[in-house]
Formats: sequence, structure tokens, C-alpha cells
Amino acid sequence: MSVLGWRALLVFALLAALPLVPGMSRYYLLLAFDALLFGAIAMSLDLLMGYTGLVSFGHAAFYGLGAYATAILMERGVQSVWACVGFAVVVVGLYALVVSYFATARRGIYFALLTLIFAEVVYTFFRYTQTFGGSDGIQGLPDATVLPGLVIDTPTRKYYLVLAYLLIAYAICRVVVASHFGRVLVAIRENEDRARFLGYNVPRYKMGACMISALLTGVGGAIYPMRSAFATPDLMLWTESGEFIISVMIGGLGTLVGPIIGGAFFTILRDKVSSIVDWYFIVIGGVLIVIVLFMPRGLLGLRRIFSRRAAA
Amino acid sequence: MREVHAGYGATPILFGVSLDVRQGEAVALLGKNGMGKTTLMKTAIGFLKPWRGTIEFEGRDLTRLAPHDIARLGVGLVPENRRIFPGLTVRENLELGLSAAPRRSADLRERRLAAVFQHFPRLRERLDQSGKTLSGGEQQMLAIARVMMAGARLILMDEPTQGLAPAFIRHIRDMIRELKRLGVTVLLIEQNARVALSVCDRGYIMEKGVIVFEASSRELRESPVTREKLGV
Repeated sequence: MSVLGWRALLVFALLAALPLVPGMSRYYLLLAFDALLFGAIAMSLDLLMGYTGLVSFGHAAFYGLGAYATAILMERGVQSVWACVGFAVVVVGLYALVVSYFATARRGIYFALLTLIFAEVVYTFFRYTQTFGGSDGIQGLPDATVLPGLVIDTPTRKYYLVLAYLLIAYAICRVVVASHFGRVLVAIRENEDRARFLGYNVPRYKMGACMISALLTGVGGAIYPMRSAFATPDLMLWTESGEFIISVMIGGLGTLVGPIIGGAFFTILRDKVSSIVDWYFIVIGGVLIVIVLFMPRGLLGLRRIFSRRAAA
Repeated sequence: MREVHAGYGATPILFGVSLDVRQGEAVALLGKNGMGKTTLMKTAIGFLKPWRGTIEFEGRDLTRLAPHDIARLGVGLVPENRRIFPGLTVRENLELGLSAAPRRSADLRERRLAAVFQHFPRLRERLDQSGKTLSGGEQQMLAIARVMMAGARLILMDEPTQGLAPAFIRHIRDMIRELKRLGVTVLLIEQNARVALSVCDRGYIMEKGVIVFEASSRELRESPVTREKLGV
């Protein structure tokens, strides 16, 4: 538990108590599910963006493939959470291996473009072939089971499922960041060539970072149909990747916690604004511009401003 | 190094450079700006592939190896402008240096750290400070300490005294002597011929991508060629 620290444990304890809040409705629990899932995926992306300095425009493909892995199994009567997540790890792992092998051979914008191109190929495949439902995707999935008899059927249970995923993913990210491997990633971000002449096989390290990030994202994707009961190609659209990136930026690059907050903030903002107006993206865009202009370190950067004021 | 030709894109920079550094020697590579010294260094560590010619280290051909493989063979680079990792602490910078060591262990790390602190007590004081808070001289120390952590047997240094205060220049000079005493081979690239020749056994002068003169340090110090080519 020392990897997490008492503050993180306190936050998780508070999050665990959320369903107990009086007046907590089904709607808010599912919104909380979406917020935490989005936050966890933004955090996984942060491992790549914030720590390794690689911007992936293709994380939606990892996410969507994970969702399809669950949906395909469930459609065939497999309802076990473990089987679905395991299958997602295999599918996303194989795909990520190919993408990261080719993408990490290139730097900067080429890495971003390659991840985007691969993701678009996957999107197009699922969108235009009828095997997996075409543009409708796979709908009407049953509830998942953790153990025989323990079915994830209520919003509260779904919420705890995503909370468990977030906790595990966060612990993994913390361990990775604190390890020697994590130091090398930061070294690569700061200067790739320096890391190379110190004896690090930089593309292999980048590939490792990609794989961890992709697998965590894929598992997040695998959990999504357990709440929504469907998987559609839209989950793989590049705008989804863009929203992950935006969430990382809102929260604060290279902080892990920031992107979780950013993802949750983005999800809730989108939900709230879209329930009021149709042209909600204009509002969200405005909010993002304000954040980027006035909080370049993201929401988590506010912490520093306040602590500096308190010190002064 | 034999007849090495190299360059960037279609632009040739090195026109058949040959030089030898024998084990345990400190050799200076002198020359003015833009004569190809840094290009030579980049080619030696594998960032640039030579167009022609061979580069060998302890009997192994380096020409086809990637930089990280060359580093693991025991070739360390102290690059120009003290390129440390500014966002990492001194300790993290040092520990990253260990990568090139074949078998990384906690024991080895402690021993190497102890050795580094013996030479650079100042780094111990700054251990948990981030790299960017160090002074120029301290960053240079850190860059040298980092290759010592790796246990490099051949260290390539690119302009280590550039922009440093005289006290630090002396310190770097002592450091190179110390490396030599430890049996490490040094190839020192310098514009500051006085400093370089005071620690090195031999020197080469490079001009427009070729070696134009080679002699012992003593001869170089007295030779009119040095004055003519380097303007000192």
C-alpha cells in the first residue's frame, strides 16, 4: 500500500463511500462511472504523454478494441468479467504490439500520425464490415458476472467495478513511474539522444511504455460494455482519442492524478452542458481555451498556485 | 578509426579521418569551430553512420552498432554543453548512467556511487536536487560522473571546459588526470588547446574534415603548426 500513499487511499475511501451519499441516484452513479473510467484512461495515456513525451492519437482504438473484446464474448454467452478482461488484454496486446513496434521507430509528429492511422484502420474495419454489427456495433449485451451468482447488475455494483479498475490501474502506474523503467521514460522525454548514448535501447523502452498504456486503456474499454451493454465503432473514432488527450491536458501532464481529475471533469462538463444546450462543444471549447491559456499546468497546477500563496 | 567518411544528409563533413587512441591514453582532438570534431564524436558513438571506413573498439567493429549497443561495450560520452537530464535529480541522473553496466545490481550501484562521491564530494551534497539547479561546472561534473557510473573504459569528451570558470576548468583537468590514473582511456575534444595538451599524451589537429597534424603533446605545444591551425 505504500505505493499509493495515505492521501490516495483517503481519496479512494471517499470515492468508495460515494454510493452511500443520500439521494445518490442511478443517473449520478452512472455518470460517476463514466467520469472515473475516462479519468483512468486519461491517466493511462499520461504514462505515454506526460512521462515518455509521446502523444498518441490512437488510444481510442485500444479502448474500442477492449470494448469489442467484451462485447464479442458476451454475445456468445460468456459473461465472466475475468474472461472478458483477459480476452481484451490478448486482443489489445497483439494490436498494440504491432502499432507500437512501427510507431516507436519514428519520433514526434510521425509517432502521433502512425498511431492515428492505425486507429483509423481499426475504426474503418469495425464500421464497414458487418461481422461485428457495422455501424450499429454489438447491442443488447447481458450483465457481466464477477463470480457465479455475483452479477454486475446495479449501478452501485457497476460503480464499484470501475473503482476497482481505477485503483489497480493507478497502483500500476505509480509503480511504473517510481521504477527504474519510469526514470528512463522521463530521461527519454527530456532527451532521447542522451538516453541512447547512456546505453538505453530507446525504442524498446518506448514500446514498453506504449504496451502498458495500451493495455490499461484496453481493460478500461473492456469494462465499458459492462455498464452500457453495447460496443460501437464510435468508441474508436479519432475524436475519442482527442478527448483523451484533452483530458490529460486539462488535468496536468505528467502527474497521473491530474489526468484522472481532467477526465472526470471533462466527462461531467460534457454531460452537464449537453443536457442544457445542443451546441455544447462550443462551451466546452471555450472552457478548454481558458484552461490552456490560464492554467498551462492543468487543473492540478492550481494546487501549486494555492500552496505558493499560502507560503507567501 | 580508419579512413572514416561521414556527414549529414548529402553534406560530407569528414573526409577520411584516421586516428588511434591506445588503451590508457588521453588523446586530444584539437581544431577550430566547424572543422568536424563533433561530427567525429557523433560518428564514433553511432549517431551518424559512417559512409565509408571503419571504427573499432577493443577489436570490435562499431560501424553497424546502435548508440546504446556502443555504450554497453564501454564507450561513454560526455557531450557538449553538459547534457544532463535537468528534470531529474542528481541521484536519478547518476543511476541512469548505470544502464550501460552489464549486470546492474544494488551492490554495484552503491560501489559506483561511493567512487563517484570520492571524486565529486559536491555531488553528494546535491544528491536530491534537480539537475537544472546545478551550476554549469556542477553539471559538467555530473555528466562525467554519469559515465563513470557506467564503468566506461573509453570516454569521449566534447568541449568539457567550454564556458566554465577557471576553477572548474582546473577541476575538470584534474578529473581527466584522475580518469587516466584509473586506467580509463580518454579522447578529449577541445578548442582550448592549452588545457587539452596539459593533460593529454598526444594530440591530433583537425581541419576541414581531415587530420592535418599529429604529435605528442610536448611537440604540439612547441610546434608552429599548432599556432597556425588553432590560432593560439
